[in-house]
Amino acid sequence: MGEGWDGGHLHAIREGMVTTPYHAQGSRTCALTPPTPSPTTGAVAALRDVTFAWNRQAPPVLHIRQLDIAPRERVFLRGPSGSGKTTLLNLLAGVVLPQRGSVSVLGTDFGSLGGAARDRFRADHVGFVFQLFNLIPYLTVVENVVLPCLFSKRRRERAIATSGSVDADALRLLQHLDMADPAVLARPATDLSAGQQQRVAAARALVGAPELVIADEATSALDADRRAAFLDLLFRECAAAGAAIVFVSHDASAAHAFDRTIELGSSSLPPAGARQHLGAARRR
Amino acid sequence: MIIGLAWKSLRHRRLTAALTVASIALAVLLLLGVERMRTESRTSFAATISGTDLIVGARSSPVHLLLSSVFHIGNATNNIRRDTARALSERPEVAWTIPIALGDTHRGYRVIGTTGAYFEHFRFGAGRSLAFEAGKPLTADDEAVLGADVAHRLQYRLGSSIVLAHGAGEVSFVLHDDRPLRVVGILARTGTPVDRGVFVPLAALDAVHAAANVQGESDPLAAALKQRDGSSGGSLTAVLVGLKSRSAALGVQRSIGEYAGEPLTAILPAVTLLEVWEITGVVERTLLAVSSMVVVAGLAGMLVALLTSSSERRREMAILRSVGARPAHVAGLILGEATLLTLAGIASGVLALYVGLLLARGWIAARFGLFLAVAWPSAHELALMALVAAAGCLIGLIPAWRTYRVSLADGMTVRI
Repeated sequence: MGEGWDGGHLHAIREGMVTTPYHAQGSRTCALTPPTPSPTTGAVAALRDVTFAWNRQAPPVLHIRQLDIAPRERVFLRGPSGSGKTTLLNLLAGVVLPQRGSVSVLGTDFGSLGGAARDRFRADHVGFVFQLFNLIPYLTVVENVVLPCLFSKRRRERAIATSGSVDADALRLLQHLDMADPAVLARPATDLSAGQQQRVAAARALVGAPELVIADEATSALDADRRAAFLDLLFRECAAAGAAIVFVSHDASAAHAFDRTIELGSSSLPPAGARQHLGAARRR
Repeated sequence: MIIGLAWKSLRHRRLTAALTVASIALAVLLLLGVERMRTESRTSFAATISGTDLIVGARSSPVHLLLSSVFHIGNATNNIRRDTARALSERPEVAWTIPIALGDTHRGYRVIGTTGAYFEHFRFGAGRSLAFEAGKPLTADDEAVLGADVAHRLQYRLGSSIVLAHGAGEVSFVLHDDRPLRVVGILARTGTPVDRGVFVPLAALDAVHAAANVQGESDPLAAALKQRDGSSGGSLTAVLVGLKSRSAALGVQRSIGEYAGEPLTAILPAVTLLEVWEITGVVERTLLAVSSMVVVAGLAGMLVALLTSSSERRREMAILRSVGARPAHVAGLILGEATLLTLAGIASGVLALYVGLLLARGWIAARFGLFLAVAWPSAHELALMALVAAAGCLIGLIPAWRTYRVSLADGMTVRI
């Protein structure tokens, strides 16, 4: 690894301010974190000195010195394809572990948990919305929404505590998302429009009130009007449920609606020599 | 909960699932059908005759003699003289004899020339004797007793008159219509070839044959044979013999084999039945092997279907992982689908077997003289089903394991 390799660049842009990249020893990694002292206790998610590569030979795709996500915070995570967005998302979800550094969610270090325990932890505390084809085609709308409660006792209990039953909580969320029309509920999940499907996925991410909602390109399949409307609904429901939201997208047009924007830098997978620096400090 | 998901997933992919189930069902139907035919034919054959210690006929293969005289399968090649039968019945060890003369038919049903001794001494099943649904045994020479099937299929009643045809085929052009017989008895159902028999006195057969001879025989050899048979007062196909003491059977069998009057064969029905099973055993084992292969093919079809769908379903698995399913859950979903498909296949196969049995038993009885009982699955059949189920689950482990590994690598995002 030489000077030509910049690794993953992580930029935090807080309230529109550009901060200078932090360069770790050697130029191969740079990480950028909010300059303010970050809350290590009480943070929904905290990453420290995280380096991740898909295997030992490959160059790291991501290096993050420090990243904290506060409760109820709305974070926009932007970066081009291959910038490590997916990797960061998988790290936050505990699907993968970093080679170095630590990832903890709600004060629990994923490194201290086994794979099954991380799966359980994710089921209990994290909700997801993906780009499209978010729904299980053979389940009804309500069955799709209550899926997390099938795998997480905690979310099942929370859903029941909120609405009396899991299905009632699903209907409550769907109603908030304007999806409770019986005619819509009766249709197979795959017959719904893209916007409707994303709203069902949002209801599923929120059922049982997880502390963190991760949305991965959740609005990419929607047109501009629907995108704004969907984000409004998502924010409203996350606020109502008290969940922090990490919104990942390659498209920065929605960034203004968030508390904070984090920009991931250069593409990370081409061979080291041919690597292009895409990221650093180009925005505003 | 995972099984619930598996069920909904299969319901979603109805067509593939139905085809897979159908192929497993066919395989199971074949496997159980072969097994059922094997056991049923054995019990049915074994129940056809009981209490008869020896069957005596002209020198021939014991199996042939048994099949023709008791099961009415095939025709006896040679006959024995009636005075031989008389000599036999006079032996001190012999308690009773039933003479049997075959070779004629009535509208496709076998005619059995015999005497009143048949209804007195013949036993079937676990030593049951023949019962009359209506009427009485043979007493006069122009009478006939019908098996239950004959009476019901041809809608004969007591007092109906019937005409015999020469030859054992279904259709005969030589009708003995100058000597009609009167139905005096109808037997209760036995579930054996007796149900399909027309019982007439020996004298009635002699009379119609004598009439046929008068009309002239175009084949000089046949005419000569008839003359030879006729010289000793008619012929018989076989004699069923009951002994005073069963332990004497082997000695009597040997001495009959050495009878000076004419070449004879005496068989012990149970022993000869074992010979029959030895012959059919080869076929049965072949059929069992073939049907096992069909089961393997059916399960392989399921494997192909599951493996093909597994790559299409990576996104589905990723979604499940994102809502908290562990890789083991996802693998369990695939395994659950394999299990459901196999179980549904077995259930459909068993159902098809019973429907098939109910539909085909009449035809099988008519065609092969095999009376199939519609009984609950035997322990052996249950074991076969369990074996198929276990094999299905085991095969399901392959796509499940693959899905497990893919799911572990993919996490919540599908990387292609």
